[in-house]
Amino acid sequence: MSAASAGLGLVVVVGLTAYAVLGGADFGAGVWDLLARRRAQRDLLARAMGPVWEANHVWLIFVVITLFSGFPAAFAALSTALLGPLSLALLGIVLRGAAFVFRQYGAPDGGRPVRGTAAWGRVFAASSVITPFALGAAAGALSTGRVSPSGGGVWRPFVAPLPLLAGGLAVACCAYLAAVYLARDAERIGDASLVRDFRRRAIAAAVVAGALAVAALPVLPPQLAGRLTTVGAPAVGLSVLAGVAALVLLWRRHLSTARVAAATAVATLLWGWVAALYPWVIPGRLSLGDAAAPPTIAGPVLAVLLAGLTIVLPCYVLLIRTLRPEELAGDPRSSPGR
Amino acid sequence: MDDLTAAREQMALSLGFHIVFAVLGVGMPLLMVFAEWRGLRRDDPLWTALARRWSKAVAVLFAVGAVSGTVLSIEFGLLWPTFMERFGAALALPFTLESFAFFVEAIFLGLYLYGWDRLSPRVHLLTGIPVVLGGVASAAFVTTANAWMNGPVGLVTDAAGQLVAAEPLGPFRSPTAAPQLVHMVLAAFLCTGLAVAAVYAVAILRDPRKNDGYHRRGLAAGAVLGLAVAPLQVLVGDWATRAVAESQPAKFAAMEGLAHTTDGAPFTIGGGFDEHTGEMVGAIEVPRLLSLLLRFDPSARIVGLDAVAPADRPPVTITHLAFDVMVGIGTALVALALWGAWLARRRRVFHSRWFLRALAVAGPLPFVALIAGWIVTEVGRQPWIVYQVMRVPDALTEQTGLATYFYVTAGVYLVLSVALVAILRRIAAAPLVSGEWCPDTKRHSRPVHRGTG
Repeated sequence: MSAASAGLGLVVVVGLTAYAVLGGADFGAGVWDLLARRRAQRDLLARAMGPVWEANHVWLIFVVITLFSGFPAAFAALSTALLGPLSLALLGIVLRGAAFVFRQYGAPDGGRPVRGTAAWGRVFAASSVITPFALGAAAGALSTGRVSPSGGGVWRPFVAPLPLLAGGLAVACCAYLAAVYLARDAERIGDASLVRDFRRRAIAAAVVAGALAVAALPVLPPQLAGRLTTVGAPAVGLSVLAGVAALVLLWRRHLSTARVAAATAVATLLWGWVAALYPWVIPGRLSLGDAAAPPTIAGPVLAVLLAGLTIVLPCYVLLIRTLRPEELAGDPRSSPGR
Repeated sequence: MDDLTAAREQMALSLGFHIVFAVLGVGMPLLMVFAEWRGLRRDDPLWTALARRWSKAVAVLFAVGAVSGTVLSIEFGLLWPTFMERFGAALALPFTLESFAFFVEAIFLGLYLYGWDRLSPRVHLLTGIPVVLGGVASAAFVTTANAWMNGPVGLVTDAAGQLVAAEPLGPFRSPTAAPQLVHMVLAAFLCTGLAVAAVYAVAILRDPRKNDGYHRRGLAAGAVLGLAVAPLQVLVGDWATRAVAESQPAKFAAMEGLAHTTDGAPFTIGGGFDEHTGEMVGAIEVPRLLSLLLRFDPSARIVGLDAVAPADRPPVTITHLAFDVMVGIGTALVALALWGAWLARRRRVFHSRWFLRALAVAGPLPFVALIAGWIVTEVGRQPWIVYQVMRVPDALTEQTGLATYFYVTAGVYLVLSVALVAILRRIAAAPLVSGEWCPDTKRHSRPVHRGTG
């Protein structure tokens, strides 16, 4: 594999990480919407997600495009082997994205919302659970080594302990990230009861995520378990440390730092999995090197990607910094365009 | 339904659904930023109110466009993995550039939509500009990728036909790239402009009290954009047709319904192609006009369908009729533009009920032409997925049961369309509050009058 292809592989991992810690939190917000007890909780998460979810979603498209540009054979094999969960995720993505704006703009100027607005709220919440579950299950099924690009069934490889646990773990991680971020957002607007709500939810989600991760240990295929404890060990170790640190920080109400720790825990878990899988895309069947695009393409694409990221990342930071909830400002302006 | 048909229909449905939102996502930001600029420049609250109202419509349209575009990017792999495996790399550069254009558009749209009360008016206006540019650029890049499928340039294959290298800039050099992408970007402005004009024309026709400054501004902005683009679009369409005639003779013969290679070929309107006899049936023919139009010589030779092996011919009747529909609508819109210009000179645009009715009818027409144009491009390329390199059936996934996916997609898109229309109508019908043009005077935010648009 050429240096350019290796660089493209890293860019895919960067994109996946960004999608997990940013887009993942948007899915998690949907989970808390499903479980919300009061209107204020829903308002907070709609307000936090509103400006950023479109941009966060682009990370997925970014990953897809980088994958088929840099590793076309991997894209084709994954698309065929993971047809079932990927279509389910796609259905979730479509319904969720549409439902979010339909709900937001069902009553753009107050008053009685358009018929069906409440139902779109439920669709938004349900599809926020389905999508990360399907993506997690796809990753879990890859780890089992039972998926194959030539047949193997649309659903069968995914109805097994590891894929189902991985799906659950993905949902729990999303919910955990969202709760930690939302607790900090609630702190910024100075709403103590919302801080309490989301702090508790963050701790609960962390416990569930940890339990699912531990439950997955006995069902890991031996080869993957071996890789996780050798090449994957630094990342997995860091994930555990960051996870524990996040819990302590949440407990001690250092919410701003807890966000960093929580995101680190999820990102490093992802890296550990990637490192354990490497050099395989589909274990035993397709390696990353064999899937790489010709070097005449990989080099220019990597150059464009790096140039593009240096433009896009500052813009993204500008978006976040401009539109995050104002510190202790008591004037909720959740509805856009008013 | 067999898997190949299901996959094709699913692709047609996904593209057809996405393209409607994609063009509005490209065109609406331009109108929105224009209205905001006018409002700021002239200190005109009605333009600002329009910009705010349009930004809500953009939020909804963009969201549906973004998710339906995501569906496409993943469906390439789910339905046509062999195509992506062999040619994903060849399409890498336009798609990578597109992802950044889309990124910029999404980030600044977030700033724009949620920054109305957070940013100074001037900075807010500036955040709209990357939204416009990002939308136009992403449309251009995606169309460039499609142009490459119509004219693959820069492929290097080994003896076994495996792609070993590809020229990164190949798609930008494909023969139809330039006319196709200009045609597409203009189509986005044409569709958006006339759709917006139609919304306000309908409102004024229904309730003459709405023939006020607010609705007139909305109508004027849309109509000027759409009708100014219409004549340009006919010229660019002519350019695109000539490029097709040069590089894809089979598609051109199908578009024009020309059965036989002919010296002094007629221009054919309507009719159908009989696959068994290889003749056109029931068409109106204008003698020698096609040769005259294409070569500026009434007796020039034009290649017909009989020069192409039957197995390599696209479905002729669909391609030909779709082309006729597109050309017919384009011509009608130019006539509408001339009428509008004539009325505008006499300052009678808002008093001619017949013109307003024509605008109302013209709203959906460019969308019909848009879909017809893509049918010409895509059906006319059959049986190839990459022209003369890979056939569509060879690109299909090995997975089966694709009919289910098609039915689920059709159902989901139907539900989304119904909900979307209801919400856009609500955004349009919401009362115009004075707060919409002076956000700082919240205490005055009482309804001024009912708006529609």
